[in-house]
Amino acid sequence: MRKMLFLATTILAAALSASANAEQKEVTVWSWFVQSTMNKSIAAFEKAHPDVKVKYTYYNYSPEYITALKAAAASGSLPDVIGLQPGSLTQQYRENLEAVNERAAKQWGDKWAEKIFPVNRKQMLMGNPKGDENYYIIPQESQVLCIWYNRKVFEKLNLSAPKTYDELKAAAKALTDNGYIPMFQGAADGWQNENVFLMLANQFSPGIVDKAQAGETPWTAPELVEAMKAWKGLFDDGIFQQGALGAHAYPTGAQLFAQGRVGMMALGSWWMQESKFPPPLSEFVQNMDGFDFFYLPPVKDGNPASPPVGGIDIGYGLTKNGGKNPEAWTFLAELTNGVGLQEALNDLNDLPAFEGYSPKGDITDHVKEMSARFMADLPKAENQRFASPAVAEALDNALAGVAAGSIEPEAALATVQAATEKALAAK
Amino acid sequence: MRAGSTIAKVGRRSASRASRLYLFVLPATLLFVVFIAYPILWVAGQSLYVGTSAGAVFAGLANYRTVLGDPTFWTVVRNMFLWGVITIPVQMLIGGLLAYFIERHTHALRGFFRTMFFLPVVTSVSVISLVWVQIYAPYYGIAQEYLKRVGIVMATSPIGDPETAIYALIIVNIWQWTGFSMLMYIAGIANLPSEVLDAARIDGAKGWRLAVHVIVPMLAPATKSLLLLGVIGTLQTFPIVHLMTGGGPNRASEVFGTFIFKQSFVLGDTGSGAALSVIVLVIALTLSLIQIAALGARLTPAARQHP
Repeated sequence: MRKMLFLATTILAAALSASANAEQKEVTVWSWFVQSTMNKSIAAFEKAHPDVKVKYTYYNYSPEYITALKAAAASGSLPDVIGLQPGSLTQQYRENLEAVNERAAKQWGDKWAEKIFPVNRKQMLMGNPKGDENYYIIPQESQVLCIWYNRKVFEKLNLSAPKTYDELKAAAKALTDNGYIPMFQGAADGWQNENVFLMLANQFSPGIVDKAQAGETPWTAPELVEAMKAWKGLFDDGIFQQGALGAHAYPTGAQLFAQGRVGMMALGSWWMQESKFPPPLSEFVQNMDGFDFFYLPPVKDGNPASPPVGGIDIGYGLTKNGGKNPEAWTFLAELTNGVGLQEALNDLNDLPAFEGYSPKGDITDHVKEMSARFMADLPKAENQRFASPAVAEALDNALAGVAAGSIEPEAALATVQAATEKALAAK
Repeated sequence: MRAGSTIAKVGRRSASRASRLYLFVLPATLLFVVFIAYPILWVAGQSLYVGTSAGAVFAGLANYRTVLGDPTFWTVVRNMFLWGVITIPVQMLIGGLLAYFIERHTHALRGFFRTMFFLPVVTSVSVISLVWVQIYAPYYGIAQEYLKRVGIVMATSPIGDPETAIYALIIVNIWQWTGFSMLMYIAGIANLPSEVLDAARIDGAKGWRLAVHVIVPMLAPATKSLLLLGVIGTLQTFPIVHLMTGGGPNRASEVFGTFIFKQSFVLGDTGSGAALSVIVLVIALTLSLIQIAALGARLTPAARQHP
């Protein structure tokens, strides 16, 4: 009798446990997105969907995240949702991703894509095979590239945000003479070099890099050669710090900038999040009091200042595995255009990819004003992303070679042209 | 009849014993097949295909031709050669000298010195890279702070100049791994038979003569081990380069590890990444076999004593 009772209790307990497990659904997510902010987004999601548990795995982007994705894709063990950048990263995993068009239309209505800023929408399709109008990435956040400057240091040295190249050079000299790093460039990192080059190239001819990577304009076009020469000039004219080619923007440059030892730095709207990091914060970072931004002034007479350049900061994709888990899409939708996004914005992580959002909570007027300026510029931003990683890699090498003086601008751009032709032929 | 039956029984027992003995090597064999042989064969297979996993097309040796025709490959070969011929002897020399002086001339502080010189070996490469990037930085860097006092101003960072980047990285590697060479030599010195050293001293050998003509030859097994490990370590170089220069500027400091990583994971060209991996495997295997043939397989003091 006792045995029977024990058996019945065990079966009941197992059944209850199974039922509890069945009720608690799980979504798995991998990304390089800041863990503290993601935790806030997940908490907001789980509050709104108490029956779903989100398991987030954070990776450093390189090499950890991209190697983990590769291994998981090869073994068919990708999580439900993965963090993506538009263009090359999304395209590498396109075969492992669900097209989200139908789910998005059902969730947000047929015109959902129109609520996404144009530059982001363009980037969502980057690198798709001809005729494939499916979206494999939903953007969560956007960014606008700019030159941040330390306004307290500028004020101390009687400088103002430069409006001409001469003013930029004069500001760099004044900063250097007073023991500051003029404009910190982490030129050992390809991404920061690409960003500055995009600012320059779009100043000479808006949209020209997009045309060049699409094969519509040669990379050796005069405007791009001029932009490459201007890039070299930033090193030769003392605007970037000495030894920039051996420096990294993160963590070195960002730390020095936050500490007030740097005058200017080419970053983007994401820099605002520094003010939300755990204390102690420097007087410059506290409420972003020490910082403001400008766009790169004309590097040649007759040029306009650089237009805003930007696009998707981070997006997410629904994997084939995630396609089998209905809760995975629910989470992805809330993360990119719902409670999850709002939490990320409140943390000043970056700008939204969908219209109709703004950061809320404990934010100063100065930050609100800068955020509003970025938001006003976002709809007219030029594209910052590359469809082919081989083209981006060739441009990175060309920029480093020209900066080091080991290759001439024309020859360097010819290598980018060759890489573009090869990539387009392979497509 | 009885004798024949006995022989048959012994034969069966022997065969059964042999088959039981084979069972003991089964776990190691299984681990080798699953974690070493299969991945190698899989990578070798991948090197014959172009395209993505879903749309891969058999391309024969096309990936090998592409890789060998890429100028970056030959930059990598040059860098790896420099890396090997500089780091291995320099690490051995400094490590050997440290070991000799620590073992022979320190007493109370022996443990302290051993630990201090070995510390970089067990320090995270990420930390080492961050610190050395700061050391090399001109204008605001650590080295610059000291050089300033003697009137030297660094114009560029050694890792930011294509001409010097690889040498700057080699210095970091030597700094990190010399402690390992030191440890190997300390083990070698500790195992030296005292009667041989005493005999040498009685014969009048001391100081430099004792070190060069007695101790150094007797440390040959440790030297051979370091040579073999150095060559393999050279071919496996990745984190320092990835973290400090990313193989740049303009691929000037690219090594096999970073080149394979870029091809496979950044550019998504798994085929050429796999071809490169196979080439590195063949190089490593060839160099190891040459070394074993030339220097002998007896690499450790223990092996020397118990051939």
